[in-house]
Amino acid sequence: MSLAADVSQPVPMPQSRRRSELIMLLFALVISFFAYAAVGLGLKGAVPSGLPVDLIVFAVAMLAAHLAIRRYAPYADPLILPLAALLNGLGIVMIYRLQESGRNGNPGLQVTLMSTSATSFQVMYSAIGVLALIAVLVLISEARVLQRYTYTLGAIGLVLLAIPAMLPDSMSYVNGAKVWIIIGRFSIQPGEFARLALAVFFAGYLVAKRDVLSLAGRRFLGIDLPRVRDLGPVLIAWGASLLILIFETDIGTAALFFGMFVVMLYLATQRTSWLLIGTLLFLFGTFITANLSSHVMERFTIWLHPFAGSNPTGIAYQPVQALEGMAFGGLFGTGLGQGQPYHTPLVQSDFIISAFGEELGLVGLMAILLVFGLLVQRGLRAALAVKDPFAKLLIGGLSFVLALQVFVIVGGVSGLIPLTGVTTPFLSEGGSSLVASWILIGLLIRVSDSARGPAPQPIQDEGMTQVVRAA
Amino acid sequence: MNRAILRISLACLAMFVLLLINVNYVQAFESSKLAGEPGNIRVFDQQFTYQRGSIIAAGDSKDATIAESRLIKGTDTYRRYYPYGKVYAAVTGYNSIYGNSGIEEAENSLLSGTSSQLTVHNFTALLTGKQKQGATVELTISPAAQEAAYNALSTSTAGHAAALVALNPSTGAILAMASYPTFNPNELTSLNGGTLDRNDNRLLHDSSQPLLNRATQMTLPPGSTFKIVTSAAAYGTGKVANPNSTIPAPTVLTLPNGNLLHNDDGEACANGNPSIIEAFLLSCDTAFGHLGIRLTSPVLRHYSSLFGMNRPLSVPVPVTPSVLPEGKDWLDPSLTAFTAIGQFNDAVTPLQEAMFAATIANHGKLMEPYLVSQVLGPGLSVIESHTPTAMPNTGIPSRYAGYIQQMMFQVTHNPAGTAYLTAGPPATSITIDGKTGTAQNGVNNTGLNDAVFTCFVPGVNGQSSPIAVGVMVQGGGYGADAAAPLAVKVIKAYLAAHS
Repeated sequence: MSLAADVSQPVPMPQSRRRSELIMLLFALVISFFAYAAVGLGLKGAVPSGLPVDLIVFAVAMLAAHLAIRRYAPYADPLILPLAALLNGLGIVMIYRLQESGRNGNPGLQVTLMSTSATSFQVMYSAIGVLALIAVLVLISEARVLQRYTYTLGAIGLVLLAIPAMLPDSMSYVNGAKVWIIIGRFSIQPGEFARLALAVFFAGYLVAKRDVLSLAGRRFLGIDLPRVRDLGPVLIAWGASLLILIFETDIGTAALFFGMFVVMLYLATQRTSWLLIGTLLFLFGTFITANLSSHVMERFTIWLHPFAGSNPTGIAYQPVQALEGMAFGGLFGTGLGQGQPYHTPLVQSDFIISAFGEELGLVGLMAILLVFGLLVQRGLRAALAVKDPFAKLLIGGLSFVLALQVFVIVGGVSGLIPLTGVTTPFLSEGGSSLVASWILIGLLIRVSDSARGPAPQPIQDEGMTQVVRAA
Repeated sequence: MNRAILRISLACLAMFVLLLINVNYVQAFESSKLAGEPGNIRVFDQQFTYQRGSIIAAGDSKDATIAESRLIKGTDTYRRYYPYGKVYAAVTGYNSIYGNSGIEEAENSLLSGTSSQLTVHNFTALLTGKQKQGATVELTISPAAQEAAYNALSTSTAGHAAALVALNPSTGAILAMASYPTFNPNELTSLNGGTLDRNDNRLLHDSSQPLLNRATQMTLPPGSTFKIVTSAAAYGTGKVANPNSTIPAPTVLTLPNGNLLHNDDGEACANGNPSIIEAFLLSCDTAFGHLGIRLTSPVLRHYSSLFGMNRPLSVPVPVTPSVLPEGKDWLDPSLTAFTAIGQFNDAVTPLQEAMFAATIANHGKLMEPYLVSQVLGPGLSVIESHTPTAMPNTGIPSRYAGYIQQMMFQVTHNPAGTAYLTAGPPATSITIDGKTGTAQNGVNNTGLNDAVFTCFVPGVNGQSSPIAVGVMVQGGGYGADAAAPLAVKVIKAYLAAHS
């Protein structure tokens, strides 16, 4: 009897919410268009003449992403794409604004390092990013598919990471960091992609080994310490990140790798001791390198005493300009196109958040941080809801590392922690970071689709079983 | 695994909260501090794009604009001008890429329009599309007195460093504040980077320290002008009953440590047992040295505080405190004898010299000295105005102030008085009461004495005293000869403009 009643009840189907996604996406695009107009008004007192071709291409790319999600991930979280699109759009507008400063009678420094095609390139990379996102959705029907390539991706990740260190400086060294592969006019930062590959590797490895790793070792001071032989992988990751630190003078990337690995280890084993050991190892490594490397030591000096002595005009010129720019923006900002972010060298790259702080003010900067926060939160939400432990681990780790990256760069620029050069996801100028960020969004969307989508229909299977029993 | 994910979520939340707190700190709480960092390009650029407020000397019936920002023809850029050049430099200071000084520094947030008091104005300007504008600062400075002070210092000090301050004793309003050698602030507002840099370097490295405002920053021994304080202490403690009470005044005073204290040039002091008024007008060191030993240093320090010494002061230009320090050996009676005649380690500013006279002129009540009478927002609404207030924990009973006034009258009106020839009837028809000081230059005795003079014009027919003046000329020689004539010139000019 009761069985019949259950069957007659309509099975609650999860809502796809694709229409909400479209409306929010259009909203994000409208904000970007208005911001673009505001740049023109701020710089020249008039809306930029002619069609904003770049923004239109960008909008088309975003709508294509939306259509791909409709087709390949219909139950995905509707917030993820609009949030990413908003950040990407604002980034493009700010790069356009910085590219225009000092040109065509606009206020700014005469000497500018930005090419006139910076905006077009950024839009092109956005489009490539969307293509990558679509590829992720098409090729990876379920996160589990990736698990098969655990060790392949692990190897690829390590190679990508190590390439810049192997190359001569002329092919890898730009602005104090040896993290590039430069071939002719093209350059990529392999570390951005290595991070994704290694995340897959960590997730696959840890899902397989988590039982061993969570075996209790000795208990010391109320903390379960792991067995010494299980420390192996942690020490390898630590060693690898230290090598990056030393050979590529890139403390930020090292922190991101190590943070990602330790957190994924913790997620897999649920043992706090890993967090503790990891943090201590990282601090120890930083301390050692700070004493060995004048570059790392200098970062500490700049952080602690940006305004001391000749620092503001010397080694701390860039961070001091960023801080003064943010302070100059105050609560409501100078308005787009009306500040002087061009005083900060290379503001379009690692320091772009200070340009937002200056021109959109505290209010705008907090809004951007909240958008990042929401994006991280949607990722963690998907990690909570999805059942597959591999997907849980992968997305949990990637969401955390997104938060960590924002923390490291925004905290560095605003003086909360020592400055380390990592890109601001979606905002900074540069193709590698942007495309990698869109691949990350593709993975988030894929997993959230699995998490929110309808479970495989069990009722018919049950019926089949009954038939078998009857026979 | 979900429990661990929730914990990691909390960690992410914590990171974002930290970031939000920190950007609030940078952009809201610390923004004005960062704006004030030397070499802040944005703030510097910005000051050329809108009009910084003017500074007005409003102490006479006819105002003088002493600092203003003018639009450079054919550009959107403003440049700071000081129409009177060196005359008001000690008052206005300068506003340059390298920083600010004087009123330009003390009132910077109002002049530049960043003060929170101007938030509403700026916001309305933003909404109505008007340009942001700084507030106008009106000073108590009297153009007549200031010009006289500047001219006197630059022509009559034989090149010695000197400073002069004139006060209105009944309000504390600073009527004139001049320092010599001085500088032309226009040299520091050049928009030509090379010129500016050269001028800045020259002024910074000039051994005569033209950028130093000696009226508020130079402290010298007060010399015999400190006998005003010693007298007040003598009356206040009852050690001396009235101006006619006699006090011992040997030709040579043997100090407890065996050293000898002489009067100037080894002269005798009247009959050796003069009235205090006689000792004062002759400025006998032995009489007041002996009095000081009886009073003790802590008592002298207490009375010096009643004249405004031993405390930080800002007018709102920062003032180096005038002090009678509780240093090593300060309780030694032999040294107290020197303290009492302003020759040990007591050191005062020219402003403090004016405050000595002003306290007596205002019947024992010391008014807080101030420079800014009011601040006018854009549209000339008053956004800040000064109400004269007595300086807390200062002042002496009016009876004793009256006694000291009689003594200071004798200094300039008794033919034997030290300033009879230079500030008394032979020099001017104006009644001026004063006290001279000639301080031997302590440890670094260069053979040149510092000349000091403090004086005021007493109020007549129940009116309040119009002006008190303090002058110090470093290495100038006798106070009566080197300092007093400068004060007389300023008083003449001020009274002529206010008759």
